[in-house]
Amino acid sequence: MSRRGVGLGAFANRTQATQSFATHGANLRSTHTASLQTQLSVFQSLLHTFALEHSSTIKSNPTFRAEFARMCNTIGVDPLAASNVKGKNGRRGLGEGGSFWTQIMGGDMNDFYFEVAVRVVELCRDTRDENGGLIGVEECRKRVRKGKAIGSGLEVSEDDILRAVRSLEPLGSGFSIVHVGSKQYIRSIPKELNTDQATVLEVIQMLGFVSVSMLQLNLNWEKARAQTVIDDLLADGLVWLDAQGPEKEYWSPQNLLDDSG
Amino acid sequence: MATSTTTTTPFTFPPTYNFPPFFTPQPNSTTRHSQLQKWSSLIQSWCRHHRTYRLSLVDAVDSPLFHNAALRKRLDLAEARAVVDWMTKKEEEEGGGGQRAEWIEGASAGGNAMPKSVAWIWWRRPEEWADVLVDWIDATGQRGVVLTVFELVQGEATVSQEFHGMDNDVMMKALNVLVKRGKASVFGNEGEEGVKFF
Repeated sequence: MSRRGVGLGAFANRTQATQSFATHGANLRSTHTASLQTQLSVFQSLLHTFALEHSSTIKSNPTFRAEFARMCNTIGVDPLAASNVKGKNGRRGLGEGGSFWTQIMGGDMNDFYFEVAVRVVELCRDTRDENGGLIGVEECRKRVRKGKAIGSGLEVSEDDILRAVRSLEPLGSGFSIVHVGSKQYIRSIPKELNTDQATVLEVIQMLGFVSVSMLQLNLNWEKARAQTVIDDLLADGLVWLDAQGPEKEYWSPQNLLDDSG
Repeated sequence: MATSTTTTTPFTFPPTYNFPPFFTPQPNSTTRHSQLQKWSSLIQSWCRHHRTYRLSLVDAVDSPLFHNAALRKRLDLAEARAVVDWMTKKEEEEGGGGQRAEWIEGASAGGNAMPKSVAWIWWRRPEEWADVLVDWIDATGQRGVVLTVFELVQGEATVSQEFHGMDNDVMMKALNVLVKRGKASVFGNEGEEGVKFF
């Protein structure tokens, strides 16, 4: 089209041009899709082989498992979303409609996270009286690793615990992860911490315990404010009172967990 | 403490023992419940370790059990009494510690009789001791054999058994459980009872 079309024929020309552009575009798109599809299927089969080849490592090594899960996440395969559709053909493996983990590893991975989730729920329930339903992810990991009976310990990473807790979400169980300072906690009683409460818990994390006068001094709070926050935490069972010192001290029960009593 | 200590290994305290608030009665009822459970299991394992069957609170409040010298915290007499009182209650009906303790009525402390000052600590309840006895009798094929209570408690044959050197009254309680179940009969004068298992 070196020269500009004139007259009525130009209209026909323009439609033709648009059409050929469109077909060319469609062609390009389809070849592109086709090549992407091949790439994806190649990748999936590679991932499949990789998972099968390293399945024992994935199951036994928490760091490796976390890395593998992260890799899956990056390429848009969410092992957890897949875990939640675990269903009818659970064990049968490669059948269609099974979850991602089921397809590549015969259901073992699902079972793994469900087992961790069950342990976490058990632990939260057992310790709810002593810690008011707030338990550190790290403490939780230690306990799951130790297990209750001999040989029942599970080698898990914090990442596994977090995944397991997230896998409980669809059940509407009220289990959630909260951040206080630098630490992550599992909250098993659905209740919000307000900023003041979170701040006090953070202080306890650092110092081991708090008292009203410590809060007044360090945070410039008025006495009433400090007392209210502490009373609230006490009422929720999140701190324990020690009244045998010169001033009442409030301690976090997070370190009690090793006690199986 | 009144009872002799037979074991030489030191008692390992649970982590709770080094948690200062453990020694203050918790104002929150849920927390309190958890605290009482922890005290109950600590008292039971302490008594088991030291083979203590009757615990005199007046004596115990100054022992390491109720007095953490390192932390300078202690459970005072009234508080220790509250814990043991909780242990004596039934688990379901009264929300207590499952009858892991029992007050000894009319026991005297320092000459004058005081209620709720001495208690049996049932790290094994008499019924549970009865089961232990029956197991031992079965394992050693002594059904139908007549034994004296002294033999059971002090005899050479029972040295390896948990009930060796046991408080005589506890042994009699356990035997009485078996009598009620029709598994044994006790005869003879007080102090020199004999027992036959069937």
